[in-house]
Order: sequence, then structure tokens, then C-alpha cells
Amino acid sequence: ISGYFRNIVGGKTLAKQDLEKPLKAMEDHLVQKNVAREAALRLCEGVEREMVGKKTGSFESIDKALRPALESSLRRILTPTSSLDMLQEIQSVISPTVKTVSPRPYVISIVGVNGVGKSTNLAKICYFLLQNNYRILVAACDTFRSGAVEQLGHHVRNLKELSARENVGEVDLYQKGYGKDAANVAKDAVAYAASHNFNVVLIDTAGRRHNDTRLMSSLEKFANFAKPDKILMVGEALVGTDSVMQARNFNAAFGPGRNLDGFIISKCDTVGDMIGTLVSMVHATGIPVVFLGVGQHYGDLRNLSVPWAVNLLMS
Amino acid sequence: MVLSDLGRRINVAVTDLTRSQNLDEKAFESMLKELCNALVSADVNIRLVQQLRKSIKAKVDFKNLPPTTNANSKKRLIQQAVFDHLVDLVDPHAEPYKPKKGRSNVIMFVGLQGAGKTTTCTKLARHYAQRGFKACLVCADTFRAGAYDQLKQNATKAKIPYYGSLTQTDPSIVAAEGVARFKKDKFEIIIVDTSGRHRQEADLFAEMEQVQSAIKPDQTIMVLDGTIGQAAESQSSAFKSTANFGAIIITKTDGGAAGGGAISAVAATHTPIIFLGTGEHMLDLERFAPKPFISKLLGYGDMSGLIEH
Ligand SMILES: Nc1nc2c(ncn2[C@@H]2O[C@H](COP(=O)(O)OP(=O)(O)OP(=O)(O)O)[C@@H](O)[C@H]2O)c(=O)[nH]1
Ligand SMILES: Nc1nc2c(ncn2[C@@H]2O[C@H](COP(=O)(O)OP(=O)(O)OP(=O)(O)O)[C@@H](O)[C@H]2O)c(=O)[nH]1
Ligand SMILES: [Mg+2]
Ligand SMILES: [Mg+2]
Repeated sequence: ISGYFRNIVGGKTLAKQDLEKPLKAMEDHLVQKNVAREAALRLCEGVEREMVGKKTGSFESIDKALRPALESSLRRILTPTSSLDMLQEIQSVISPTVKTVSPRPYVISIVGVNGVGKSTNLAKICYFLLQNNYRILVAACDTFRSGAVEQLGHHVRNLKELSARENVGEVDLYQKGYGKDAANVAKDAVAYAASHNFNVVLIDTAGRRHNDTRLMSSLEKFANFAKPDKILMVGEALVGTDSVMQARNFNAAFGPGRNLDGFIISKCDTVGDMIGTLVSMVHATGIPVVFLGVGQHYGDLRNLSVPWAVNLLMS
Repeated sequence: MVLSDLGRRINVAVTDLTRSQNLDEKAFESMLKELCNALVSADVNIRLVQQLRKSIKAKVDFKNLPPTTNANSKKRLIQQAVFDHLVDLVDPHAEPYKPKKGRSNVIMFVGLQGAGKTTTCTKLARHYAQRGFKACLVCADTFRAGAYDQLKQNATKAKIPYYGSLTQTDPSIVAAEGVARFKKDKFEIIIVDTSGRHRQEADLFAEMEQVQSAIKPDQTIMVLDGTIGQAAESQSSAFKSTANFGAIIITKTDGGAAGGGAISAVAATHTPIIFLGTGEHMLDLERFAPKPFISKLLGYGDMSGLIEH
């Protein structure tokens, strides 16, 4: 964080007006990291609340005094409040410990705006699950965009080869071509998976802009039909302020009582230290980041490391 | 529309100022502040916003306005300065390449992953085909799964001839073959689609240079996603210094984004925007011109005579 007021040192009780300029510098810093201004302002307000009335240490600049407050706010916002152990969750659905609950396939669906990396990151998750020896059905429910079905077909073919070579898991494609209603295809895919002994269904969906009310409202029917255990939204690290409304509108699209379960922040490899999107999206919804996409290959999927993210954002 | 929210906010700021009883320096400063906040919220690069603020301030030079200047002329002065500077933001004063009939015009598309290249190249081919050019498409994306199918399906819908390969993995070879074949057949607009790439991966940039030297395009177009944020400047500058693109197309302007990131790329690369992508369908392409765009943005009347569709 650039040094405003480095010269003010030691033993000062901080008043609102002392903080004005350093906080503006902090806001600009966060905006430069691609944190949406709205989220940056909220973080700065939090820091202000925490710092007004505090005494700086002897020989300490205001900047220096503010740093830990921002760092801990970032850590707080990014740290999920519940467990994100997907494998454990899958396990409990496909082989429940309680006798009265019957096993069924675990359903994950991927949503998001156009071109953010839904299909590619679905393929990466598939690869990750294959490594854990699951039987996976990939459902091609983007029945709109040209080449979407073939794209998934390619991935499934590649992943089949990989899993055969490594002798782990199994994967197949479920597709009904183009023009069909996505919710119906999804529902049929889940039924097919249940009757064919698949463990996990991965549902790809068409990209849609979050301000398109017609396409967004079809998500509610989709969730009702496919009954996904996890709805993951892909947001790309490249996106600016729109991330906030993307996250909010998708989070609200699945009808009452149903929210997003997590974000995949894709294309993190393309932004250097400007990884603010993940802050913006979590700020907007309180939904945690489950995965980061860090490249175009199957292995390029990571869990979020909060210290890593906070370091980049503070740098 | 892209930037409409920004337009509204700027308008409110300027109107508030021009309505205020005592149009003094303080009111002017607070208008500038609101203008800058609006631009930053629209993803305009933050350093660019700071420059803009300084230069509007210098232009209006509030302190040194002759004391006889009445409120109305002050208002007009300020409005004009804001308008001019916003136009400057999207107008690099550079002329884009104009394809000519009766010869081959090779156009290469470049851009980040998922920006909208493949979708837009069909839109552009169709645009020229409608204007009497013999237009075609070459798929030189040999990396992305399903890229050729995507282009093929779009081209078929738009009735545009296309070339690609399911077996050749070297994009510069496919590109060169496709361009050579279509040149032989006297095609006038030959659009070459390439894979998405980013500056952090040197191999991908090297590949872009290879394709470029294999086909020697008359025009290279960078496709930029209208939702891009602060990374716009560094990515577009890197593309500029490697591929020296001569025009920009901003896509997804029908989305919720204000588009200020993509617009910052114009300033960073001094390259004109030529079209806006306004949807997923073939016809969703609009010509771009700086002045009508900003007029419309600020609600200064449509001046639709100047907008070509
Ligand atoms: N560099 C990088 N590229 C990525 C990443 N994830 C996806 N991509 C690329 O982004 C582009 C778009 O990816 P897709 O998976 O087709 O995106 P999508 O969201 O399914 O797109 P639509 O279905 O058209 O809305 C492709 O070129 C991918 O290779 C990532 O983490 N890093
Ligand atoms: N809403 C909207 N969507 C668009 C527009 N242009 C492209 N898209 C969508 O954006 C997504 C990505 O477009 P592509 O044309 O595949 O992007 P690309 O740059 O070729 O992607 P890669 O080849 O993977 O780098 C698709 O879902 C398109 O339908 C636009 O102007 N508006
Ligand atoms: Mg997809
Ligand atoms: Mg493409």
C-alpha cells in the first residue's frame, strides 16, 4: 500500500480525518487489484470503524497501523464459514451410512455468464473426481451455443483416455444435441446416472448474461428439475465491477430457498496479482470460493489458499 | 447498453452542478469527484481517471475564468470539457483499415480466452458478405476443444464458406493453408480465428506471432470482453506490442457491465474501436463511432444520423 502520511509517527489517537487520505489510498489500491469499488469501500469502512479512536504504536505510520486491519478483514471475508470438503459430501450421498437413506448420484451443476470457463472447469473437476476413482456422467445441457456439445464430447474423450491409462474412475457423456430444453435434459441425465450406477453427474449449462431476465428465470426450473447438490458459479478473474451483479443475480436466480453453493474463479493465471474478483463476488453474496482455475489444462484447478490471496491483495 | 449506468451518473453529476445556485469552485470539485467515482465504478483504469480529472480541471481552469463569465457560459464550458474528454477516451484519432473490394483482405482475430472471437468473426464475415464482399472464415484455433465445430456451425448458419482441419495441430499451417486456398478462389474478406491467449504465457504469444507471419494479415483485430476490469490495460498493451493490432471490437455490451475496462484499452493502445458485439446472435453487431457513442451515453440526443448500423 502506497505511503500516504508515512511521516506521521507514533502515539497518535486516530481521528476520522487522519484516516481520510490513507483510506482513499487503500481504496485505490484495492481497485487496482480489480476489487469492485463497492467492495473496496466496504472493506475500507470496516477498517475505519476498527481504527478510529485507536492509538498508533510509537514510531508507527498510519499506513502501517492500517495494514493489519485490512489484512484481517480480507482474511475474514475470504475464509469460508463451513467445510468445503466436496469428496466427503459426495461420499455421504453415494454411500450413505444411514440404512434408511438410499444411495444416489451426487449432482453438480455449473453456471455463469458467457465465456467465463464453465465447460473447461467442469472438465477439470471431472478430472479431479476421476483421480478419486468416481464414475462420472457429464451432461451436456448447453443446448444453445454452437459447438458446445462437441466441446464437452472432446473433453470426455480425452478424460476417458486419461482415466483408462491411469486406471482410475470412469466417465461418459450424456447429450441430446441442440435446441432441447436444458432442464429436461438435466433431469433425464440424472435419472440415467441413477439407473446406470454413476456416482457423480456434472451438468454443463449455457452461458447467460445476468441481466437477461428470460434466460435467468429458466434457472429456477433447471434447479427444480436437476435438483443439484451443488450449484457452482464460474466467475472469471478478468471481469471487473460486473462481478458483483453477476454473483448477486445468479445467487438469486434459483428460486426461494435455493442459493449458489460456491464460486469457481477462473483464469487466475491471466491477471497477475489483480485477483480482486474473488473478493467482489464473496462480498456480494457471502458464498465461498471453492476452486480457482489457473490454466487451460485438466490439472489447472486449485483450492483457494486464503494466505496466498491475502498476500497478493496486500502486495 | 454498455456504459448506460455511467452515462446516467455523469449526467446527474453535471446536471446537479449546472443547476446549483452558486456554481463555485467547490461545486465544480465535487462534480469532478463524482465523475471520477462513476468512471472508477465503471472499470475505467484508475490512473486514466486521475489523468482525466487533471486535464478537465486544467481545461476549465475555474480559478482563472474571467469574473464576467455568467453561469450559463460556465455550464456550457464544463459540459463541453467533460464531453470532449470522454470522447478522447474512446477516440485515439487513428484510422482503422478499410477493406477494399476486388482484392483479398486478410483479417486476423486475437484476444484473451473466451472474449468472443469465434462468435464475432462470423458476425463480421456476415457483415461484409451483406455488403457485397465475398467473405469466408478460417479456423486456426487448434487448441480449444470443439473450436472447429463451433466455427463450422456458426459459418453454416450464416452461409459463409469456411476452412479448418481436424488433424493438423499447428495453427500457422492451418491458417496459411486456409488463406492460400481462399485467395486462390478470389475471396475478398478472409477472416482467421485464433485461440484465446494471455500475456503470461510466452508460448501462446509466440504462436500468435507465427500465425501472423504465416498469413501476413492486412488487419489484426483484438476482441475484448466488455466486462473486463483492471487487467485490460496490461493485457491489451501486451497484445499490442506483440501483434500490433489495428482495431478493437468490444463484445458482450448487452451484458450488465459498464465497459470502462475495455475502453481503457483504447487509451492504452491508441487503437480505435470499430464494432460492438451486442448479443449471442449473428446480427448482434453494431458499428462504433466515438462522438455519437458519447452523446448517446450522456443523453445529449441520439444524433442517429451519425450512427451506422
Ligand atoms: N487461462 C485460462 N483460460 C481458461 C481457464 N478456464 C477456462 N479458460 C479458457 O476460457 C475459454 C472459454 O472457456 P469455456 O469453458 O468454453 O467457457 P464457457 O463458460 O463454457 O463458455 P460458454 O459456454 O460459451 O458460455 C477457453 O479458451 C478456455 O480454455 C483458466 O483458468 N485459465
Ligand atoms: N451476450 C453476449 N454473448 C456473447 C457476445 N459475443 C460472444 N458471446 C458469447 O461469449 C461466449 C464466448 O464466445 P466465443 O466466441 O466462444 O469466445 P472466443 O474468444 O472464441 O473463446 P476462445 O476461443 O475459447 O478463446 C459464447 O457463449 C458466446 O455466445 C456478445 O456480444 N454478447
Ligand atoms: Mg460452455
Ligand atoms: Mg474461439
